[in-house]
Amino acid sequence: MYSILFSDAEKTYIWDGVELNLRNDGRKRNDYRPMELETDVVTHASGSARLRLANTDILVGVKAEIDVPYPEAPNVGKIEFFVDCSANATPAFEGRGGEDLANEISSALLKAYDVLPLNNLCIVPGFSCWKLYVDILILECGGNLYDSVSLAVKSALYNTRIPNVKGTYIDGTNVDLQLSDDLFECWKLDVSKAPCFVTLCKIGEYLVVDPTVEEEACSTASIVVSVGENGSITGIFKIGEGSFHQNAICDAIKLAGTIGNELNKTLKLALEKEENLGIRRERYGFLK
Amino acid sequence: MPVDSFRVTAPFNTTDYRVYSKKQNELPKTVQKERHDGRQSNEHRPIVMKIGILSQAKGSAYVEYQNTKVICSVFDPREIPNKSEYSVNGGLYCEFKFASFSTQKRRGFIRDAEEREYSVHLRRALEPAVIRHQFSNFQVDIYVLVLENDGSCLAAAISCANLALANACVPMHDLVTAVSLGLFGEHEIIDPTYSEERSCLSKPYVNQAEQGQGIITVSYMKIFQQITEIVHCGIMHSSSINHYIEKLIAENEKIYNLCRQCLVGNILVHLREKKETEAA
Amino acid sequence: MDHYKSVHPLKYYQDYLIHDLRPDGRSISKFRNIAMNVDSITTANGSAVVRVGNTCVVCGIKAELGPPRTEEPENGFLLINVDLPSLCSSQFRPGPPSDKAQVLTAFVNNIALQCGIIELKSLCIQADKLVWTLYCDIICINYDGAVADACFTSLIGALLSVSLPKVEYNNETNVISVNEETKISLNVLCKPIATSFAIFNEKTILVDPCEEEELLSSGMFCIVISDNELCSIHKPGGNVLEEEQIKKCISKAKERTVLIYELIQATTFKQKLL
Repeated sequence: MYSILFSDAEKTYIWDGVELNLRNDGRKRNDYRPMELETDVVTHASGSARLRLANTDILVGVKAEIDVPYPEAPNVGKIEFFVDCSANATPAFEGRGGEDLANEISSALLKAYDVLPLNNLCIVPGFSCWKLYVDILILECGGNLYDSVSLAVKSALYNTRIPNVKGTYIDGTNVDLQLSDDLFECWKLDVSKAPCFVTLCKIGEYLVVDPTVEEEACSTASIVVSVGENGSITGIFKIGEGSFHQNAICDAIKLAGTIGNELNKTLKLALEKEENLGIRRERYGFLK
Repeated sequence: MPVDSFRVTAPFNTTDYRVYSKKQNELPKTVQKERHDGRQSNEHRPIVMKIGILSQAKGSAYVEYQNTKVICSVFDPREIPNKSEYSVNGGLYCEFKFASFSTQKRRGFIRDAEEREYSVHLRRALEPAVIRHQFSNFQVDIYVLVLENDGSCLAAAISCANLALANACVPMHDLVTAVSLGLFGEHEIIDPTYSEERSCLSKPYVNQAEQGQGIITVSYMKIFQQITEIVHCGIMHSSSINHYIEKLIAENEKIYNLCRQCLVGNILVHLREKKETEAA
Repeated sequence: MDHYKSVHPLKYYQDYLIHDLRPDGRSISKFRNIAMNVDSITTANGSAVVRVGNTCVVCGIKAELGPPRTEEPENGFLLINVDLPSLCSSQFRPGPPSDKAQVLTAFVNNIALQCGIIELKSLCIQADKLVWTLYCDIICINYDGAVADACFTSLIGALLSVSLPKVEYNNETNVISVNEETKISLNVLCKPIATSFAIFNEKTILVDPCEEEELLSSGMFCIVISDNELCSIHKPGGNVLEEEQIKKCISKAKERTVLIYELIQATTFKQKLL
């Protein structure tokens, strides 16, 4: 993982600040940094989103392709995550440097997105289904990667439009697929059950939400909780080298549940607002 | 699957015969109060622990949770490859591998994403317990091989690796043990078997409302009362987490006593042998 | 004593060999004890665990269904892989299989094919459509010399313990049905067993070397005997050997093979009783 130069005095400064509920940038322990989100930034993808969480910059593109479903699950579609840590973010990611981090994030996403129902991605049971390739590009690392990646992925999936394809099963193993005449006829994916991650970083005795790079460097361990619909928990795992007391973990998970619920609601409102602006909305892309 | 040019492979893709079997479709999709092997819901399977079984490794251990068989070996600290900076804390290199015949469906020899994920969880579970500044700039290799997977393989692997580390005389703060809990609505089962794990993770998740469905694995250090690793997949409500963790910690404490017994027993055996050779 | 051993290991060994002894107490022509256990792994169709002294090897067999080769429509597949993971010794590093592992894999596969351990036609369910593929994966858990011996013994033991379900293939509908209640065992036609030797100083031949002896030896060779007939001699380089020495080794290998056959018989018989 990338590392920054950090002195002990700076660590003590941050520790003491967190104890007094006053972080380096003036936030309280439970405050998020301002976020900017824009969907539909990549024209050739079925869905895309770009999220900026202060210094963290994530770009997600979703592509839908037709594939054969797994034999043990013939009625569901498939989803696959691929994370690319670009060398733009930090020189440590050059070549295969960011591979470990990328593997961790993609396997975390895969486990968390187990709850998302993929039944409507099926075209002909047992023969044909949609496969969603979710490609995540980390352009800049400003701390709190898991949260930003999960929010960007959820937004990109919200933005994903899948063409209307009807399939009929002909004798043998042939499936006849018919596209409708109107090329723009498509349906949207239902992401109400999709989870988002909440990272709680343990600094001293207290838990801090949305840590910056400096705060991550002076914490021993963090807990990442994947929160789904109605505050339900869909995945928990720990990152870092330290350990937690039983009470600390229980408090962390409860806190993450409430925060995640708020986050999901706010994201939903923001995405609906953007959608209501229509196709004539002002697009910024990478200019802002 | 990438082409494996170093090994003998089949020329065509083969499929597991169980896909065509009638028995496959009769597997229970739900968990009943009476578990299929007759255990109570909070009863752990009988455990076998043996240490010092491999002569070539510095420390080794073998753990059996009835049918789940895991073997671990730990080697002396060696230099960290591909690293030029000095690191104050030593490193742990964990490799988790399923034997190709260990699961119902045959696994390949090349490490796939699931094994890499388990390696990361194993490392995170053991890192807080090891006194890493005593071997600065070096790394200790921990290799875990699952010979047969019948559920709770991560929990068995963590307990096994911790015994192997202790046998290898790697300085540790405390012993780390791990237990898995399977959730299926109102049923909470300790140490699920493979078929119970599959039922707990079977989709669609029916028990979404109040109760949970899924698997939680917690690894714990008894003396320091610290949870070193928690892994959860599935779905559950945040209000019930206290209850699950308490249950898991109580079970962990029992396994801790067993680990201690095993290590102390091993030392006593060695002392006795030494005495006999000196007397002879 | 240990300092002498680490400073000048060759002289340390030579001092022992003069008295026809080895540091672990064996004479130069004494074999290590072998222990065996079959069918302990329930997820595999057949399995065997073999211990030759400290060397421990696990063989697991998984059976899968697939189409046969077009040029051999009635032959199933017997694919043997020997794996020496980093677990078994500090000389193996994580990553792709080492040279030793690849050589062993090729060696075991060649012998299995040429001796015809199993009639591949017996693995056929429907010619040109469906055959059994047996993946025999031999994993070494502790590497202390004479791995080839352990590999062959565990392979034979595992093959004898394999139980396959009955598979029916309906030609008209192309439907495959598997009946897991029935158990069919394999007919093992011959049982090749390997015996390893190490050459020291051109004169002394050590039987069943351990890992230290393998590293210090000036040559290694392996003799494979099947049903009291010589099957193969594998001698990759090393010192030259005289005809008399080879003949003596072949007769020693034959004696050992007889003992190993008795062990396999006893273990598989006991398993059938259970």
